[in-house]
Amino acid sequence: MATRSELSAFLESVERRAFKQAVFAVRDEEAALDIVQDAMLRLAEKYGQRPAAELPLLFHRIVQNAIRDWFRRQKVRSLWTTLLSSLSPGRGEDDDQDPLETLQAADGSNVQEAPAEQVERAQVLEIIEQELMNLPARQRQAFVMRYWEELDVAETARVMGCSEGSVKTHCSRAAHTLAAALKARGITL
Amino acid sequence: MNEPQFGDKIRHILNQGLSLDPRKAERLKAARELALARKRPEPVGALAWAGDMVGDLGGWTGLSLRVLAPIVMLLIGFGAIYTWQQNQRADELAEIDAQVLTGDLPIDAYLDRGFQNWLKTRAAEQ
Repeated sequence: MATRSELSAFLESVERRAFKQAVFAVRDEEAALDIVQDAMLRLAEKYGQRPAAELPLLFHRIVQNAIRDWFRRQKVRSLWTTLLSSLSPGRGEDDDQDPLETLQAADGSNVQEAPAEQVERAQVLEIIEQELMNLPARQRQAFVMRYWEELDVAETARVMGCSEGSVKTHCSRAAHTLAAALKARGITL
Repeated sequence: MNEPQFGDKIRHILNQGLSLDPRKAERLKAARELALARKRPEPVGALAWAGDMVGDLGGWTGLSLRVLAPIVMLLIGFGAIYTWQQNQRADELAEIDAQVLTGDLPIDAYLDRGFQNWLKTRAAEQ
């Protein structure tokens, strides 16, 4: 059974990558923070008694489910927003987040990068993150699980709830699309 | 460059982008601490073993559903069968008693050996 310190160390090691993955999927940092928080709570409450070795797979699965739940809620919310805005035009837009907030946050991450190499590296990182976001959801999920989270094919298949063959296909397509996109933007790894 | 090599390079670059601004880092830390506070306390000694067993069976809810529920159903089933059999036996005895008491034949006739033999041979003939 995972001890409190093991669970803490695990969450600390995985929380930032989970946050980034959620951002890639939902493209909203606040929502991504909520998703990671929900996933942490669910893991601790429901699976806190499981052995530490089982935590990574459980957590990734919970994060993926939380992302799926977020999209479901968004679908319902957008339906209601559409209905209400059609009844009272121009009112629904007031509830949206200010896009400047997101822009400011994105700009702020680059302010302290002074040396040219660091700037270039940050730009490459940003482009890779953008291209990852542009991938189809399942391809991105498979690629990130396999090569960022370093899960093997069988584990990735379990997290995604699909066959190992599908994981290989998704990964291969994601890698080719990503490589082509980076090449088109003049980036060589 | 093959797929795993490409994946390794992407991982290396993505890992460089894990630094977050203080507000987000603080938020994640608070979420982690909240999650740890919600974790159930660790059982000690024999309780730990019992906890592991229970955990394997899907927690206390899973245990009650998977193990206790079938046992309770089985016990209820046995009780129902026993009660039904007892009622059936009581009904049969009551019917025999009623036939004996309402018959024209005197009760002593049923104690007579010859009469019983006659009943048997008559039943065999029919």
